[in-house]
Amino acid sequence: MINRRTLIGLIVLAWRGLVRRPTRSGLVVAGVMVAVFLFCTVDAMRTGVERATSRASQETALIVYRQNRFCPFTSALPQYYENAISKIPGVVSVTPVKIVVSNCRASLDVVTFRGVPAEDFALSHAASTSPREMSDWLKRGDSALLGKELAERRRLKAGDRFTAAGVDAYVAGIMQSDAPQDQSSAFVHLPFLQEQAKRGSTGGIVTQFDVRIADPSKLDEVALAIDAQFATDQTPTTTRAETAHVARAATDVIALIGFARLLGFAALAAVFALIANAIVLSMRSRQREVSVLQTLGFGGAHLATLVMVESLILGTVGGVLGAGASYAMVALSRTALTMEGVAIAVPPSIGIAVAGIVIAIALSLAAGLVPAVIASRQTIVCGFRS
Amino acid sequence: MNTADAIITCTALEKHYTRGGETVRVLESIDLSLERGAFVALMGPSGSGKTTLLNLFAGIDRPTAGSLTVDGHDIVKLSRAALAQWRASSVGYVFQLYHLVPVLTAYENVELPLYLQPISRRERHLRVSEALESVGIADRHAHYPRQLSGGQEQRVAIARAIVTQPALLLADEPTGDLDRTSAAGIMELLSHLHRDRGQTIVMVTHDPATAHHAQRTVFLEKGRLVDAPEVHR
Repeated sequence: MINRRTLIGLIVLAWRGLVRRPTRSGLVVAGVMVAVFLFCTVDAMRTGVERATSRASQETALIVYRQNRFCPFTSALPQYYENAISKIPGVVSVTPVKIVVSNCRASLDVVTFRGVPAEDFALSHAASTSPREMSDWLKRGDSALLGKELAERRRLKAGDRFTAAGVDAYVAGIMQSDAPQDQSSAFVHLPFLQEQAKRGSTGGIVTQFDVRIADPSKLDEVALAIDAQFATDQTPTTTRAETAHVARAATDVIALIGFARLLGFAALAAVFALIANAIVLSMRSRQREVSVLQTLGFGGAHLATLVMVESLILGTVGGVLGAGASYAMVALSRTALTMEGVAIAVPPSIGIAVAGIVIAIALSLAAGLVPAVIASRQTIVCGFRS
Repeated sequence: MNTADAIITCTALEKHYTRGGETVRVLESIDLSLERGAFVALMGPSGSGKTTLLNLFAGIDRPTAGSLTVDGHDIVKLSRAALAQWRASSVGYVFQLYHLVPVLTAYENVELPLYLQPISRRERHLRVSEALESVGIADRHAHYPRQLSGGQEQRVAIARAIVTQPALLLADEPTGDLDRTSAAGIMELLSHLHRDRGQTIVMVTHDPATAHHAQRTVFLEKGRLVDAPEVHR
């Protein structure tokens, strides 16, 4: 119906009209951009939480925590449980971990000290840092290996000293691990952290045990066996899959993100209303212009296309800017939501950015539909009388 | 006049509006034939139906009754889309208030109707340049309407109307909003288009001095053609 040359002409015409009404176009694009930014950022947070809390079929990691305790400050387990846990059938390895956090609540800037057995850690994380840094860490009892996000956030490098949560440590190196729990943690020697965090109690106390098992299908079975082992002990345990442990710690954040997601959808509704309103107002103020175009021979299909192209450009430009800004912010800030010593990374996602753009385009097309039909049906004489 | 030479032929043409439950007869029993290549002035007092008749000729309004053939097309029977297509190729229209698109330059305003023509970009550029040249406004091609005087805007509007090389050029009081000097310039331009290019022009005007440029004057009064001496140059 509309040939290629005419279509290009209409696109050029729509583009000129938008670019040469910069205030109106800029405001609409800014509105769309903010809404898409909000949607994409909230969705990135939701994706991070979903990844961290969705149990994978091949999951083999368990966290043993003190029963009815929900914060590293209050979960205290005897380190000698390690032997008993390691003897439970199906268990491959047990790592006693002492956790000290600078802030127990949900926050974007938390330093999490993880005290771990040095030799075991060096073996399992040999690839995460350079041999020289690992050797340095093994030699010094007060040294720490920092996750790269923590190091970037606090601007720390090998050779520095830093203090957080009452713990003063020497930075032996920076780890390159991509695991969320590693990125915002400072790994220190277990005895060192136990000593630093003693606060009146005796040593030999850990916060949790990280347990690896051989068969993912026996995750629940092994967890029950561990809890049964210490059920009548002075410090009974609660054992969960690592993802379930993160989900429990992040309960409040999950609820907040659920609510924020509703805000994200509301923002998309705002995109629709914003573009529709802008196009309707624009067409209303340009009724004479539409009549002039009709007089020149532009038909209903041409005018509808012109309105749709304008709407599409506004939605696409706003969508690309909003999704791009969200992606850049998430990628550059390397944000991790940390609560109760558990870190949830907010991952940058091309998929979310593309989804944001596609939704903005779809909404802009829907928003332009009614104004397009109105413009295509306008009678020339009525337009001139307006 | 032989009807084969006629560019516009209308018979028993009527246009009525309903306003406040009352029928307003804007045009009644118009029988008229205008020859190809003519320069015709439509004159009459305000409210006599001049602009309505011009709008019917342009296909931008529909008659209530009667037949109307323009450039061989029975435009009363054309669909909305076909009528738009016909306007794009056969009619150029000049408004009293110019009606240029404010966000487009003079060049881009003249280029507008050519987007609907099956011609190359190069051909489009040639035609726009030629049209701007012919109305004497080539040096203002990059100016926006707000940067032009009334007379210059009307020249751009004329260039836009003739750039498609239409069979019929319609002008609704083209000098009505201009000072005397600019008006004279515009009339000189229209006369030149008629004289040198053989352009058929139908022009609505109040002003006898303006009508003087036309070969023939048609008078309207209360929606009817009236017997008045036709003015031949």
